[in-house]
Amino acid sequence: MSKSKETSTIKTAVLPAKSGTKKAILDFLKNAMDKKNFDAVIIPMRVPAGDSFVYVLIKDVSLLKDAFPLSPVMSVQGARVVSSVTRLGKGDMKIAAVMRPCEIRATIELAKFGQVDLENVTLISMDCPGVMPISDFLSDPEKGMKLFDDAVTSWDDSIMRPVCKICDKSSMIAGDIHIGTLGAKKDTFFMIPKTQKGNDTLEKSDIKIDADLDEWHNKVTTLSEEKKKKRNSANKDLKVKTGGIDNLIDTFSQCINCHNCMKVCPICFCRLCYFDSENVKHSAENYLQIAENKGSIRFLPDTILFQTGRMMHMSVSCVSCGSCEDACPASIPVGQIFSMIADETQKAFDYVSGRDINEPTPLVAYKKDELHEMEDAHD
Amino acid sequence: MEEKEIHSDVLVIGAGLAGIEASLLLSSSDRKVHLVEKTSYTGGTVIKFEEVFSNMECSTCMVSPRQQELLQDKNINLLTLSEVEEVKGSLGNFTVKINKKARYVDLQNCIGCNACFEPCPVSLKNEFEEGLSERKAIYTPCAGALPNVPMIDTEHCLRFNGKECTACQEACMFEAIDFNQKDEQLKLNVEAIIAATGFTLFDSKQIPKYGYGKIDDVYSAFEFERLYASNGPTEGKLRLKNGKTPKSAAIIHCVGRDQKGYCSSVCCLYSLKFNHYLKSKIPEMEIDEFYTDLCIPGKSHQKFYEKMKETGTNLIRFQDINVDKQGEGITVTYTNGGKKSSRTVDMVILSPAIEPRADSSKLAKILGISHDDYGFFKEEDPDVSSVTTSKPGVFIAGCAQGPKNIQDSVSQASAAVGKILSQSGDK
Amino acid sequence: MERKIGVYICECGPNISEKIDIDKVIDAVSLPEDVAVVKRYKLLCSVDGKKFLEDEIKKQGLTHLVIAACSPKQHEKTFMEVCENAGINPYLYQLANIREQCAWVTDDKDEATKKAIRLVKAAIRRVRYHFPLEKKEIACNPDVLVIGGGVAGLEASLQLASSDRRVYLVEKTSSLGGMVDNFEKTFPNMQPGSNLIKQKILDVNKNENIKVFTDSIVEELLGFFGSFEVKVKAKEQDAFVEFDVGAVVLATGSSFFDPKQTPQYGYGTLDNVFTAIEFEKMNKSGKISLKNGKTPKNVAIVHCVGRNEKGYCSQICCMYSLKFARYLKEKIPDVNVFHFYSDMCIPGKSQQKFYDQTKGKHINFIRSSNIEVTKKGDNVQINYSDEDGKANNLPANMVILSPAITPTSDSSQLAELAGISQDDSGFFAEEHEKLNPISTSTEGIYIVGSAQGPKDIPDTLIQAEAATGKILSSLVPGRKIEPEVKVSHISESFCIGCKNCMSVCSYGTITFDEEKKVCVVNEVICRGCGNCVAACPSGAATLKHFTFKQLYQEILEAV
Repeated sequence: MSKSKETSTIKTAVLPAKSGTKKAILDFLKNAMDKKNFDAVIIPMRVPAGDSFVYVLIKDVSLLKDAFPLSPVMSVQGARVVSSVTRLGKGDMKIAAVMRPCEIRATIELAKFGQVDLENVTLISMDCPGVMPISDFLSDPEKGMKLFDDAVTSWDDSIMRPVCKICDKSSMIAGDIHIGTLGAKKDTFFMIPKTQKGNDTLEKSDIKIDADLDEWHNKVTTLSEEKKKKRNSANKDLKVKTGGIDNLIDTFSQCINCHNCMKVCPICFCRLCYFDSENVKHSAENYLQIAENKGSIRFLPDTILFQTGRMMHMSVSCVSCGSCEDACPASIPVGQIFSMIADETQKAFDYVSGRDINEPTPLVAYKKDELHEMEDAHD
Repeated sequence: MEEKEIHSDVLVIGAGLAGIEASLLLSSSDRKVHLVEKTSYTGGTVIKFEEVFSNMECSTCMVSPRQQELLQDKNINLLTLSEVEEVKGSLGNFTVKINKKARYVDLQNCIGCNACFEPCPVSLKNEFEEGLSERKAIYTPCAGALPNVPMIDTEHCLRFNGKECTACQEACMFEAIDFNQKDEQLKLNVEAIIAATGFTLFDSKQIPKYGYGKIDDVYSAFEFERLYASNGPTEGKLRLKNGKTPKSAAIIHCVGRDQKGYCSSVCCLYSLKFNHYLKSKIPEMEIDEFYTDLCIPGKSHQKFYEKMKETGTNLIRFQDINVDKQGEGITVTYTNGGKKSSRTVDMVILSPAIEPRADSSKLAKILGISHDDYGFFKEEDPDVSSVTTSKPGVFIAGCAQGPKNIQDSVSQASAAVGKILSQSGDK
Repeated sequence: MERKIGVYICECGPNISEKIDIDKVIDAVSLPEDVAVVKRYKLLCSVDGKKFLEDEIKKQGLTHLVIAACSPKQHEKTFMEVCENAGINPYLYQLANIREQCAWVTDDKDEATKKAIRLVKAAIRRVRYHFPLEKKEIACNPDVLVIGGGVAGLEASLQLASSDRRVYLVEKTSSLGGMVDNFEKTFPNMQPGSNLIKQKILDVNKNENIKVFTDSIVEELLGFFGSFEVKVKAKEQDAFVEFDVGAVVLATGSSFFDPKQTPQYGYGTLDNVFTAIEFEKMNKSGKISLKNGKTPKNVAIVHCVGRNEKGYCSQICCMYSLKFARYLKEKIPDVNVFHFYSDMCIPGKSQQKFYDQTKGKHINFIRSSNIEVTKKGDNVQINYSDEDGKANNLPANMVILSPAITPTSDSSQLAELAGISQDDSGFFAEEHEKLNPISTSTEGIYIVGSAQGPKDIPDTLIQAEAATGKILSSLVPGRKIEPEVKVSHISESFCIGCKNCMSVCSYGTITFDEEKKVCVVNEVICRGCGNCVAACPSGAATLKHFTFKQLYQEILEAV
């Protein structure tokens, strides 16, 4: 992904953030709603009990002041929210969705599958320091909030999800506008438009897009390179640990086949998951036959089938958000494993999930000239 | 107005690709087809090939679904080992006499188990395999031939030459072998006739300078096809006559072109296909393709040529060429632009011209149509249609009309059917 | 109704009985409760065998049938007929191949027997999950739409039209005739081009079963084989003419490579450099002359213009270039003609003679490359590398360029309209390069003439006639069409509307229901290829007679 080429020619807007970036972003959203540029906003908010965060579709502009553009936890992957709202049609109201880059990317993938209608939606992402593992936050929400605020200030990812620690796309501009905090001068932040819609949105709010992006771009590139190194090293180790069928079985030995990971995954959008369907349910006689062939059969069956099957179905679109790992009751590093596999499958097709709405997914795109490695394999 | 009996059956002569296409198309419009085939098998020449250019599709895989369809089609009366002896009448009402030779094996009872081959004491060269392997007096031409029922070669069978022998009959568990079968004379009434009798290759022996028939390892196109074929005499292993693996080869285009006086349109392409054959089995092989003018018309063929070039083949233009034996190898001496050069190779493959079959002029007479200067069936007027002849109701299709590739042969067969169906009105 | 499976094992002579212990197989597969009977028989495909099976089915009251014998390619249909005759649905049967896939390829008898047992058990498991499938019949419209009024379209129309079959011929220009009308003569017989066309046009206009639309285009084409809905619009009018047809023939011709893209030939910049079609028109007008009115003395004809750019040989240009030499000699007896060519491509039985008879005094052939046309005083100069690579040049008064044949500029629109694909060069893509050159992946849409690829007039006529053959034999008035039975089905309740299936369907079978937001299969055009089933992430798409459950049962046993 040639980020350097992409951003060095893009112009950005620079906005003041005298009372902090969070307030400045919310002010921007409020102004936009007042001007009727947006009719509603999808953004995280703290729950009344104060011990968690959820996504909220806000229509009443006065409630915006309590929103949290950068929440410490991702209780629901944002793409699922946008899909819930627009799956059955775009509606006639304009919505701004403020989410993290991986959530934006997942939204774009879902749009390719007809699960999201982006016509009346403006996607706004921001530099992401990571997300805390939900169990860590929930065990002590107040402490968690403090830890997260500090982490944002120092841009330190040590408390974040394992996949966040090795994420090299935490500042990827995937949506219409990206909020850049890294490399910004004191008390300012960038609003970087990527699409025509992003451009128009800023202009409608009387925001000038005439500044250079080099500061942000350089900072982001440096951080991304570091993360990439960490990622390559982590993936290498993980490959050894999980490589081969025996290691794979051991890795998933604690899996209870609850399918939580699939349920929270934004890319798993099927109404009825294949692995919950009748196709994998068999008669007693069949199970006894298998037991006879192999000696015995473990229940609930098809654990590895489910895991590898899900990998096959969604890894080309996986955005490494780590929601699956958060949801696993057996604490299996499923997010890290799927993220590592996703790197490989996407690389094989020269594809990055969520990079471009016009880029068809490899599953349905036919290129005559690809996968030559496979041709020679069968000789 | 006189009452003329109009028949709707159609006679198709030749069960090669064109004949099969015509028969299947006629059958799907509910016409009865009598498909007369001189040999004991269907598929014609194309089933000799392992692959076809330019996508290297497996030739038998491509053809066998159609052959199967043909065998199971109730509208098609397949008459193998049959020849047309006489044709009388005119469009709408031809009377045809067919001589159907006995196969001596019952088509219904025989299940193609091949148990009768082994016990037969007579061995001779297999013509289908271009003489590169042997067959028995009771035989099928190759593995996978359809119909998968053998025939008895009465010229060489001991029993039919007065000796006592029932070896094959004893080996058969299905009472499929019947020495009492007789040749039949059939009389058919048909509305129209399509002659799709195919082609043969120019005999390279007629040009001694190619060394064909004199020098070992100088092969003609069909011989090489059989060497490469996975159901052929060597099961696809490419070896010289001395058993060694060849390291180099020369493929010579345009053999017989000057003698015949026309370009056979498919040879450059099948010569490039040979290049692919050789490289796929022996990747390090050095190959020289000797050509005069490269003739590769068609929207997909130049890409194929370029792909072959990339394999490192030397494309050498020549005006004159000679093939001589020199010690262990074969020397190809050639002139290009006045300059003389030579290459030494392990084997030579000749790409000869396509010519009409030896008996095509006989058939032309029987059908009452003419042949052109080259011996191919003559079309009435190529600017009107290249499948109609001077005799209404008699159509020609495929290489019997002139050298052409499979696509054009099949199209001509469909066109002939189109003419028949549109002339007689829908049923 | 209680399920009763009958299992019959064919001995197939020594083929199966000698390589497999059939009795062992019978013992092994008789166990399940719903297997009512297991027998062996000498030769099931024989007349006696088939009668035996029919009697057995009726006598035993069987509901399902399993045959262990040879390849389905040989006898699947045979035993389906047996089922039909015996009164059970022909799809409630499964054929286990224990000959080609077992007896013929396994040397050890024990191994072969074990494998045969698993193959038969697999078939029994599978057949339990079979559904009865019914054949469908739909009425078809025998009329035909022909798009393109050139020589191919005219020929097809004349062949197809009859009292019970109308032809609608739509031509986008104001007159019929197409490209051929521009040629004074055609090769190799040098007959007037207009001869070919004039009579055909007269016949078409006279024929009351052909309706001609000139200055018109097809705006919309919906439906499927046997039932297409057509909307035709005339240029000057707003209204559509609507009608139904059963098949469509695309005979929209071709265009030429624009030599302006290869500036080295001087086209458009130098005087007296003409394209082939410009020269044809000039020749037809009766006088061949330079821009200044003078008669040319030295004419260069450059072959293969655009060949490298397009990447294929256009097949007819060498021949028409030779024809041009003849035109020139006929009108200017002492003209010198120079052919600049790389390879002489003259395939076919009559073409070489044409070349041999064209060669001669004052008609020269120069094998060359790196051709550049430059100005030289009032005339031009052909700069070229000869056979040995040496640079050379030749003065000339006139240059004729023979450009590659290309698809027409509207071929992409036409392809989209008809729902067919184009090949890499932009010509319409045929279904199978060798065996089905005029059919397309959309049943009922045929492509003929140079719209399918460069070709000469005789081959164009043949393709038009071949389309006739295909249409007359498949679209018979009064006859019903039997679409494929083993088709795909998309469950409305499970479909999530991701449209993966639509992206992988080659036949345009699947449509999207905007209201329900689900994908729907048209069972009439579905060919049962299964691509959609493989691409559906949720398993909402299933293939009749190849459901997951059915396949799983076989695999469970076999693996």
